Amino acid sequence: MSFVRAAVRQVVGLFVGDWLQSAVVLLILVAGWLGISRFGAPALVALVVLLAGQLVWFARAEGAPPSGSPR
Amino acid sequence: MGQQVFIFGAAFLGSAVESTEALTIVLAVGLTRGWRAPLMGTAAAIVALAVLVLAFGQLIVTTVPESALKLVVGTLLLLFGLRWLHKAVLRSAGVVALHDEEHAYNQAVSQLGGAAARRDWVGFVLALKGVFLEGLEVVFIVIAVGGAGHGFPAAIAGGIAAALVVAAAGVAVRRPLARVPENTLKYGVGLILTSLGTFWAAEGMGARWPLDFVSILGLAVVYFISSRLAIALVRRPALA
Repeated sequence: MSFVRAAVRQVVGLFVGDWLQSAVVLLILVAGWLGISRFGAPALVALVVLLAGQLVWFARAEGAPPSGSPR
Repeated sequence: MGQQVFIFGAAFLGSAVESTEALTIVLAVGLTRGWRAPLMGTAAAIVALAVLVLAFGQLIVTTVPESALKLVVGTLLLLFGLRWLHKAVLRSAGVVALHDEEHAYNQAVSQLGGAAARRDWVGFVLALKGVFLEGLEVVFIVIAVGGAGHGFPAAIAGGIAAALVVAAAGVAVRRPLARVPENTLKYGVGLILTSLGTFWAAEGMGARWPLDFVSILGLAVVYFISSRLAIALVRRPALA
């Protein structure tokens, strides 16, 4: 049973490190899906920019030192 | 042809990283408890994984419409790639420790030393579990990279080639492959998988990329620049 749990954890862990970040990526994709069917190429560019932007945003959120600590 | 090479390369690099982690476990078990049981566990895990690839790979490719397949696989690939890329950014910036196969190996050996009094099936189960769980990631990479781009043979070849190369290196040195630049590899593979995932997810949404699959390179450049920006923003100064 613990083996099955470990396998399930491993499979979920493949895609989800941070639930919030994964949710944001999925939201961006849904917005992209809606946008591409309406606006075409500009929505595609926006999709890529948003996906690249969330990478920077979440890295900064996790990597920033606690407020007040010296940098 | 170019796309097939890309698929082979992505499957090879991604699988090599995971195969190195599986090898570390098998070596630790084999060198502390003898080779028979862990090798049998490894063989059993490889058979189980091969069944998974053949069953799910065929099922997915033959039953799911192509656009839906690209959207789902692209989304999963994107989440998977972004996770590696996120970790690689934090490691490169010094926020989290670099993954160290030598350390993982020594830790496994010391844990096994404590369990040495148990029966031999422990070695079998440990190797089976380690290879199967790490191999699940290889299976995902092979199915995702090969399935959405009609490149199953190239992806399977890349996965098998990676496993063989890593296994041969393990047999030759009988030590964990500490010199494999795993963190750099994960950074590169994270970039490739994130780019492939974006490409396929958008195609699944009905988008048409300029220059077709060559756009993947452009996406890789965009993600590379944003990851370097992220590293620059969160970089921790080295301790004196």
